[in-house]
Amino acid sequence: MTLYKFSELAYAKMIFHAAKYPHLAVNGVLLSSKTEGEIVDAIPLFHQCLYVTPMAEIALMQIDSYCERENLVVSGYYCAAENFYDNTLDKAPAAKIADKIQENYKSACFVMIDNKLMTLGQEVPPLKVYSCTSEAGRWARAEYKLVQSEATLEAVAALLKRGAMKDVVDFDNHLDNPENDWTNKFMSCGLKQIMAMY
Amino acid sequence: MALNYEEMSWRDVRDHFRKWREDNERRSDDVIQLWEAILEDKVSKTGNERHLILEQVIVAALDTSRFDIAGRCIKELSQEFPGSMRVMKFKAMRLEAMERYSEAIDVLDAIIAKDETNAAPRKRKIAILKAKGRRTDAIKELNEYLKKFMSDQEAWHELCNLYMAEGDYAKAAFCMEEVLLHNPHSHLIHQRLAEIRYTMGGADNIDIARTYYSQALKLNPNNLRALYGIYLCCSSIANSRALGSKRKEAYKMAQWALDQANKLTSSVSKIENNDKLIASLESAFGHLEIKSY
Repeated sequence: MTLYKFSELAYAKMIFHAAKYPHLAVNGVLLSSKTEGEIVDAIPLFHQCLYVTPMAEIALMQIDSYCERENLVVSGYYCAAENFYDNTLDKAPAAKIADKIQENYKSACFVMIDNKLMTLGQEVPPLKVYSCTSEAGRWARAEYKLVQSEATLEAVAALLKRGAMKDVVDFDNHLDNPENDWTNKFMSCGLKQIMAMY
Repeated sequence: MALNYEEMSWRDVRDHFRKWREDNERRSDDVIQLWEAILEDKVSKTGNERHLILEQVIVAALDTSRFDIAGRCIKELSQEFPGSMRVMKFKAMRLEAMERYSEAIDVLDAIIAKDETNAAPRKRKIAILKAKGRRTDAIKELNEYLKKFMSDQEAWHELCNLYMAEGDYAKAAFCMEEVLLHNPHSHLIHQRLAEIRYTMGGADNIDIARTYYSQALKLNPNNLRALYGIYLCCSSIANSRALGSKRKEAYKMAQWALDQANKLTSSVSKIENNDKLIASLESAFGHLEIKSY
């Protein structure tokens, strides 16, 4: 059984992306470093329409070559459903992307953001994490933890209250205006630094 | 865009509200914050626009679970317009937001009984089905609704989204075509139709997708999605079993589209070497099959 570890950066990006579009479904991919298993980053993908494939192909190919350059690997998929009560895997939008990622990266994880646990106070991380243990396409609940759990939750809660999630950029934003940076470089200086910006 | 609340006058707030209303932007958070901070005390100065603003605030308040604000605004409107159907709809929406669905449906049915031609309460009933997660029922009801109100674009658009969520792309495409008939000059609708066709796959659909993408690009030369879309469609055609001349043409067009996309992006992108990331698309698709001419 694998224990997935999420860096503060990966966690914050997922939560901010979901919080930026509370009324829409969102998705994105997770990145790990090639040598260690820890999930170090996330790339928010879409919020406008998750059911069509062309731009997903474009995004994933660009992310692939970005990973190559940064010595990372696409190691997971995350999504949040539109309906508040749709928090189970069978309701997850565009789950096929996760299956595809898993074909290329055996221990990939599938993260579903639980709308019910998503709060401003961030008492618990609102994530449900799944892994593929037996056959491909069959996902089962897996253990996970956040690196520096308490500090991360506190920082994310504070930033949510200050509206920082509005500045997170997904691939849809990039396609609307190419000036928008889907790697969200401004966040990679660490949550402490970001706190100083708001 | 961060709004600086301290330096805003009620006129600025009114203008922002007006813009969001006209563009149909869902900025409920901002609306509520600005309402509480500035506009609430000054709303009487806005004249005839006041009622529209109150309605906008009600919807925003329900969206952000501020039932106190919604309640106050609804009360204000209902004192001014006793017995108004339009205000009754907001009362139903408040119940709906509190998940008191059966009470909300009673109110909506009462409105429909009084005025059969009123479209809004019928749409709210479908929204309730959607909120309950009963997507197939919502599709059924929306189809019934569209038999009576055929020219409702918003409804066709919603039906398209519901079909897509069900994976029924052929029907989704049909709905989008209806929307297109109402807005033949909207690049976004051409683009969405292309996306649906491309997702459906198969040589014919990809050909159609290319046509729609091309039209989208013609209507808006800065549509980056259309450029990438043309690239994808053309690469697929270039690698297909189509006639040699057709493949050659598609190959050229794919190159052109990618070049254009790169030009649009690389000059403004903050991502380091974004051009290389885009160029990687070409190696992923393109040059594998060029030799086979």
